Amino acid sequence: MPVNLTPNAIATINGGDVNLKPLVQVLDIKQMGSAQERFRILVSDSVLTQHAMLGTQLNDRVKTGLVKKGSVIQLIDYICSEVQKRKIIVVLNLETIIPDCEIIGNPKMFPDATAHKTLPNTNSVQPAGVVGYNNLSSQSHGNNMSSIQPALSSQNHGGNVQSFRPTLSTLNQGSNMQSFRPALSAQTHGNDVQSFRPTVQPPYQPPPSYRNHGAVMKNEAPARIIPINALNPYQGRWAIKARVTAKGDLRRYNNARGDGKVFSFDLLDSDGGEIRVTCFNAVVDRFYDVIEVGRVYLISKGSLKPAQKNFNHLKNEWEIFLEATSTVDLCPEEDGSIPQQQFSFKPISEIETAENNSIFDIIGVVISVNPSVPILRKNGMETQRRILNLKDGSGRTVELTLWGDFCNKEGQKLQEMVDSGSFPVLAVKAGKVSDFNGKSLGTISSTQLFINPDIPEARDVKDWFDRGGHDVASVSISRDCVSGGPKNEIRKTVSQIKHAGLGRSDKPDWATVRASISFIKTDTFCYTACPLMIGDRQCNKKVTRSGNSRWQCDRCNQEFDECDYRYLLQVQIQDHTGLTWVTAFQESGEEILGCPAKELYLLKYELRDDTRFADIIRSRLFCQYLFRLKIKEEMYGDEQRVKITVIKADKVNYSSESRYMLDLISKVRRY
Amino acid sequence: MDTSKPAIFVNGALLPMHVRKRVRTVIQVMGSDRGAVVGKSPDDLQLVVKGSPPSAPLTNFVEVIGIADSEKSIQAETWTNFGDAFDTYSYNQLCQLANGEYQHLFL
Repeated sequence: MPVNLTPNAIATINGGDVNLKPLVQVLDIKQMGSAQERFRILVSDSVLTQHAMLGTQLNDRVKTGLVKKGSVIQLIDYICSEVQKRKIIVVLNLETIIPDCEIIGNPKMFPDATAHKTLPNTNSVQPAGVVGYNNLSSQSHGNNMSSIQPALSSQNHGGNVQSFRPTLSTLNQGSNMQSFRPALSAQTHGNDVQSFRPTVQPPYQPPPSYRNHGAVMKNEAPARIIPINALNPYQGRWAIKARVTAKGDLRRYNNARGDGKVFSFDLLDSDGGEIRVTCFNAVVDRFYDVIEVGRVYLISKGSLKPAQKNFNHLKNEWEIFLEATSTVDLCPEEDGSIPQQQFSFKPISEIETAENNSIFDIIGVVISVNPSVPILRKNGMETQRRILNLKDGSGRTVELTLWGDFCNKEGQKLQEMVDSGSFPVLAVKAGKVSDFNGKSLGTISSTQLFINPDIPEARDVKDWFDRGGHDVASVSISRDCVSGGPKNEIRKTVSQIKHAGLGRSDKPDWATVRASISFIKTDTFCYTACPLMIGDRQCNKKVTRSGNSRWQCDRCNQEFDECDYRYLLQVQIQDHTGLTWVTAFQESGEEILGCPAKELYLLKYELRDDTRFADIIRSRLFCQYLFRLKIKEEMYGDEQRVKITVIKADKVNYSSESRYMLDLISKVRRY
Repeated sequence: MDTSKPAIFVNGALLPMHVRKRVRTVIQVMGSDRGAVVGKSPDDLQLVVKGSPPSAPLTNFVEVIGIADSEKSIQAETWTNFGDAFDTYSYNQLCQLANGEYQHLFL
């Protein structure tokens, strides 16, 4: 045997020990839960085995193979707690001593008899159970029981029914087992197992239907303070000591189950664990006034539920729901080991590659603050918005958008500071990344802003700024960085549009083409359109003469004296690769011809000034434009035809076009 | 296009490489000094352009073609007004292309 596991470790832990730091062996690992990844391991002290849940912070040890079947580990932080009347060890910290090891000894399941589901014979079980307990523990060091062990261990893994059952059933098998017993008990090593018996619950419990009547020992001692990161729903009794870092407003809600009120606050403990606590209704009344930001509290009892990640961005998969039995006690003395706030600052440059809606802590120097402006939200409510710019040592600046109350509280203060010539440091806790106009950061309800906070990071960034960071050019990752038109602008040539088969997919393709106009169809260049408004948009349907001089719209079913004239312009465009027909409607038609369709219509059909009309058309020929095109294949009768529509036509800006082409040249692959 | 007398695109920094050769550049006119026009090259260096400017007043930007007679001056034969707005950045890039790896593409 290469290593000695700590004798009686399982029994000792079940007896309530938390200081033994025993060596145990992992016999099995199971992944639990669907929403939250969590691992349950079966640990052995070579005599007994017991299930243990690993804290999620230890998941990586399993995933990286540091903890696997056969590993000998040292339990560092752990407690034994009772979950659904089953004892289970919750492991908060461990060390791998031997990564891979043969199974040591012939361990059996710890007789946590509280979980029995069915028992063959209630009458005979009670005494048998006690015997069985001794029986199990006595097996520890003897090998003569090995013949029945396979059966036992196979049942251990079988499910929730604890392994104690096989022992019981073997007892029922009759007398040949009995003969073993004297020999076994003779092998019992000392009394150490026995001495822990009082804390181990009697191995018998009535069948399930009577379970609620079973005597449950109530532990009246105060619960042990554990780190927030060790909290999990499988723990009955716990207490945490933590500082309130944020307190939400009291909110009232109304849903199918009626009215209610809710408030929540965030906690931080000395190990850096953070968690949100939520109270509803009557519990709100008990605790709302008690909770003060910055104070330290002892909190005990409450249920743990999965954190609502869309509202709660703390680094914890759980959220505490306080209940009527919960206690929240203010710790009068200040606990310096718990920080006032916990940040995980990232450089601004990291926002650039961050996903939309991710949550960031940022610290930077405020270099400008825009005035607060009212914004109409989608739901019709008006809110305030204020944009400021933050700069840090990463060579980037980012826009921070303050919403609502932030504009008038912190925003106003920051504006006054910047206006008076100072550059305050701003720490943003939990800002949300937005990819509108480049990348920017916005406040959400759980965002916290700290102006010139007294933390080392603030001093660092201030130092950097004062030592020259102020003058360092930095690139904005917000709207400024999107230069040269829309992001999705894809340059194509005319032949590329044809040869790449653009427009063949379900969605239209978009392309920008620099081309000259080579021909404009003039026999029909516009149509008579309905000028009536439908909602906030003009109808624009084609209208027809209704007998006399009036116009009739079939869609609006109305007649009117004057109709509108809108472009429906067929244009041939040409670049160095080829030539294609495109269609330009009203706005883009006007961009191409430089005058309204009506003016051109009147010129041609009422004034019959063909010379001026031709001049206007000719003046556009061989002009270069940047055409933004929408390309889509459509059915015309039986025929599939690629239709190219001009969405926008801009006269080429030679300066910016030169820069664009110079940039292209610099990107040419060199051989 | 007259290819009989090719002129090399230069900026202020490239001019010294082409002394006694025919060059062309665009200057931003800053003033005149003893009969010569003082201007700023596309790369922001000061150049002196000698010769006789056209009778029409010079615009802000002027293209000059002539012989580089020193590292900082050109004896101009042709003066062309390029107007008051000109993208010197692109022109400077062009000068570098014309003297760099794409030199063979230029006259």
